[in-house]
This record gives sequence, structure tokens and C-alpha cells, in this order.
Amino acid sequence: MFKHLFKMIWNKKKQNSLLIVEILLSFMVIFAVFSFALNSYSNYAKPMGFNYDKVWAISYNHTLETTNPDSVTLVYQTLLRNIKSMPLVVDASYHSGNVPFSNNHSTTGLTQKGVQVTGINDFFTDENYVSTTGTKMLSGRWYNKTDAITKSTVIVINNTLKEKLFGKADAVGKMLGDNPKTRQKIIGVIADIKNDGDYQVAAPALYNRHDTSAYKWMGKILVKVSPEADAAFEGKLYKLMAGSLKKSNIEIEHLDNKLTAYNKFTLVPLIILSIVAAFLIINVALGIFGVLWYNINKRRGEIGLRRAVGAPGAAVSAQLVYEALILATLSIIIGAFFAVQFPLLNVFDLPASVYLFAMLFAMIFIYLLVLVCSLYQGKQAAAIYPAVALHEE
Amino acid sequence: MIQLQNIEKVYRTDTIQTLALNSISLDIEKGEFLSIMGPSGCGKSTLLNIMGLLDAPSKGSIKIDEQSTGNFNDKQLAAFRNKKLGFIFQSYHLINDLQVLDNVELPLLYRDTTAKQRKQLATEALEKVGLSNRIKHFPTQLSGGQRQRVAIARAIVGRPEIILADEPTGNLDSAMGNEIMDILLQLNRDEGTTIVMVTHDENMANKTHRLVRLFDGSQVQ
Repeated sequence: MFKHLFKMIWNKKKQNSLLIVEILLSFMVIFAVFSFALNSYSNYAKPMGFNYDKVWAISYNHTLETTNPDSVTLVYQTLLRNIKSMPLVVDASYHSGNVPFSNNHSTTGLTQKGVQVTGINDFFTDENYVSTTGTKMLSGRWYNKTDAITKSTVIVINNTLKEKLFGKADAVGKMLGDNPKTRQKIIGVIADIKNDGDYQVAAPALYNRHDTSAYKWMGKILVKVSPEADAAFEGKLYKLMAGSLKKSNIEIEHLDNKLTAYNKFTLVPLIILSIVAAFLIINVALGIFGVLWYNINKRRGEIGLRRAVGAPGAAVSAQLVYEALILATLSIIIGAFFAVQFPLLNVFDLPASVYLFAMLFAMIFIYLLVLVCSLYQGKQAAAIYPAVALHEE
Repeated sequence: MIQLQNIEKVYRTDTIQTLALNSISLDIEKGEFLSIMGPSGCGKSTLLNIMGLLDAPSKGSIKIDEQSTGNFNDKQLAAFRNKKLGFIFQSYHLINDLQVLDNVELPLLYRDTTAKQRKQLATEALEKVGLSNRIKHFPTQLSGGQRQRVAIARAIVGRPEIILADEPTGNLDSAMGNEIMDILLQLNRDEGTTIVMVTHDENMANKTHRLVRLFDGSQVQ
């Protein structure tokens, strides 16, 4: 029977091509939606990498009139000490402007033994960062005050960068970068932090220890507070900042609120794509429904004939469902050829498993869609009265 | 072979009730070639459809080969039609997207046969109607007479005991009509196939064993 159906479909290839193209386009759109959604979910399922709860980010401007580096350093160190001495503060750390969930990025690139890596997040922090954010060290150590006087500049890298540069090998103690003038000694590997929210993958990252001349452009202080810290305490912290850095714009933001806002921002394209896809799927379903309905009406004589020569209603119904599924299979084969190029060519740098699962889900979805549309039409065809259909013809 | 008893067929709409067949009783012997004549709309095709189990009578009973078909379900009816009956239609009812051989194989698809058996039986049937050289053609590449011969091959491929022909020469000129009639007569004579043929052509009807005339749904001869 399948050979017979293939012959029918092949001999009607011109008429069927429109439906094949329609199903193919839907497959590609659904593949895109599933790829996006699966990638977002896969990222969401990964740990955040640090504890952002009760961590506040204070933004400030450098407004000190003195240009004496020692005086500047003294002011900022005193400010940090004063913050840390507040009763509800657990710890505090200076940080460059690109704090988590700020949509503020500073990226760099490097070459290691000829391997070029770009898009590396470049963070500047101090020795309090790990204790403030609760980030996990995977190997080695975080920097401390003594690193200021070591011969080589020290640096901490995140796990993603370590995997890209050194694979499974240990990176601690190795020099980072091929350029002898800018090489830095890796002293630790830190867990990945999802700097761009729940739904974005952690990019490779460098954690530079800032030197004393950098206070004026650091721009942020991360403050870990205890659960009891409330708005009144936030007011006190604000007053301390405003008193220490006169004329500066002070803003205190909570990282958990920033994460929520950032996640919404990230989800917008997915929601828009899903809405577009939903409309497209409805259109495709109506299209398939319409084409099958048209086919059945055009083929009433054939259906009547098949009934006359011995096909029960169920066989006629099954034939139409199989025909639709064969057409869907042809579309999916063509679609799979295009879809498989995405992991092969590493388009958008997503994991291959995301594309493969998206292909699988898109296939299942298309088959279900075609099945639902064709089942009803098959039932309609089975109900055609052979004597009437043959007479009409 | 076919026994019809007090067959009545009424078509109902919301407002009108039309009596298409009125108390028809017929007994068709095995190996008989019967023709049915009558003016358009007198119920000839309706009667043929009822004999072919394509339509159900409003009243009365049908027995084919001693089997009462009144209680058959859809699946049983389909299987019965497939094994016992062959149909020939005025407008051929060939599937234009299939080659001649595939068209002829069609009834065998609904039987437990292999592709090889189907091909062999279909080729034999086409040889009987003189079209073995046209198996790869599509119906649209054939003349009217050739198409009807393909339809006859399709009707006989499953070796049915009964052939029901609804105006098989209606769309053909007299020469081609005679060719088709000769094939049907030969089938009846050589293989003992029972044939019931609806026709408008008195000459064709005169070649058959018995003629039944209908008028306004009633049997008048």
C-alpha cells in the first residue's frame, strides 16, 4: 500500500509541492523557536554561579577634586572600611562598571598558543569579591593584598575560559597570553557566573585585580548585606556614600531586582518569536486543513471508486492520513538537511545538542500537527457515500 | 446469484420524498447476462448501486450468492464487494495519476496479495482486454474505448462472479461500444461471469440474455 501511495504522491508532485513547501517552512520556524527555547532553558537550568540575594550594587561618580593618587586611594579605602563597618553589612567589594545584570559589558580578546579567544568579559575587582558574592573557587585561590607586590601580574579566569584555553588540564600557575609584555599569571579558576541573567550562557571571563590608581573609574561597589537590611538601612548607606563622595550621583540597586528586570528583557525576543510562531502554526494548520479538504473534494470520485472496489471506510481514512504523513516526511527530510547545517557549521555558537533536540521536537510537532489535521479530513472522507461520489463524478 | 425482493428506495429531503424504486423483485441466475433499460431518472443506476451494495434500499432484501447482505457492516460490505463484484462505469472512473497497470491493480490492494501477484493478475487482465502494450500509459494518454477496456480489466482482475456495468458504452461511439460489448459477452460466455448492465442502447440490450425495463421506479418488463 505504501508503494502505491508513494506512486500517487510522486505522480502528483506538482500539486503536492505547495503543501511540502508549506510544511517545510513551518518545520524551519518551529525548529528556530525550539532552538531558542531549548537554549534558554538549558542556560536557565545551569547554576547562577554566585549568590546575588541581598547583594546591592552602589553606583558612584568620581568627584574628588584632589588628583593626588595617595589621597584618592585613602578616600576610597576609608569609604570601603566605613561601609564594611556598618552593622548589617556582611562584606563589600569594588567592582568595574560591568557588574552582573547591568547590561554593561567590557570585553577583550587574547591569543594563547595561537588560539584566539574573543568576547572575554573583562572584570576589575578587589580581594573582597569572592566573599561578597559567594562565588565558588574551582581551583587555586582568589587574589589578596600580597599580590600587589608580586613580579607577575596575577589574574583569575572563569571555568569557560579555562576550558577554551586549557581543556581539562589545570590552568593554575600557567601564564595567560602569548604577548610577553602583557602576560599574566593565572592564580585561580572561578565558577562561571551568568552575568547576563538566567537565560544567557556564561561568557569566558577574566578577573583582574585592580590597582590603587583604578578607584576613580571603578564606578561600582558590591555590598553583601544581612537579611535584616531594609529601606532604612539603605537610606543610611546612601547617606554615607553621599557624605563621602560629595556631588556624586549615588544609586543603590538590588541585584535580585536587576536580575528580574534583565530576565524580562531577555525573554522579550522569545515571547515575540513564540507569538509569531503561534500565528504561523495556526496559519499552517489552516493551510494543511484547507489543502486536504480541497484534495478530498477533488478526489470524491476516486474515494467512491476505492470504496466500490473494496476499501472499507477505515482504509480510505487511513490512506489520506498516510498520504499527509508521507508529505510531512518529505518536508521534514528537506528541512532536516537545512537544520543539520546549524550544528555542523556551529551557527550562533549554540551546543549541538540544542539543535538536535530542537530538530527532534520540531519533527514530533509537525507530525502531530499533520496528524490532527488529516485525521479529521480522513474521517470526512470515510463518510463519503460511494454511490453519491461515483454519481457526482 | 442475485435475489432482490420488494426493493424500495426513497430519497428524502426536508420537504420532498421521492420514490426512486418501487417494489422491485428480481432473480438473476448465475452466468446470466441481464440488461436494464429505461428512461433517464427511472432508477436504473439506483438499482445497480443497490445490487452492488454501494447503496442501501429503504425496504426489501438482497441476497447475493445465497448470502443475505442486510446485516453486513462497512468492513464486511467492502470485503464482499472486493471478492464478489466488479464495477464498470460510464465515465470509467480511472485514477489519472496512476498508470494503467496500477489502476487495474487497485481492487487487489484491498486483498491479501503480494506486489508480484498483483502485477501478474493485472497483466493477465490487461491481456484479456487487449491492452498489455499500454501498461505504462496514463489514462489521459488513452482513447475512450481503451479507457473503458482498462476499467473492464480492473473489474475482472479480482475474478469476481458478478460484474455490474453502468452504461459501459454510453460515452463511446458505436464501433468502440461494440468492442466493449464483445469483451463483456466473451467474459460471460467463456468464464461464466454474471453480468448486469444498465444501458440506453436497444441494440446492446438485445445481445444480452434478458432485458428488464424500468419506468418511474417500477419494473415494467
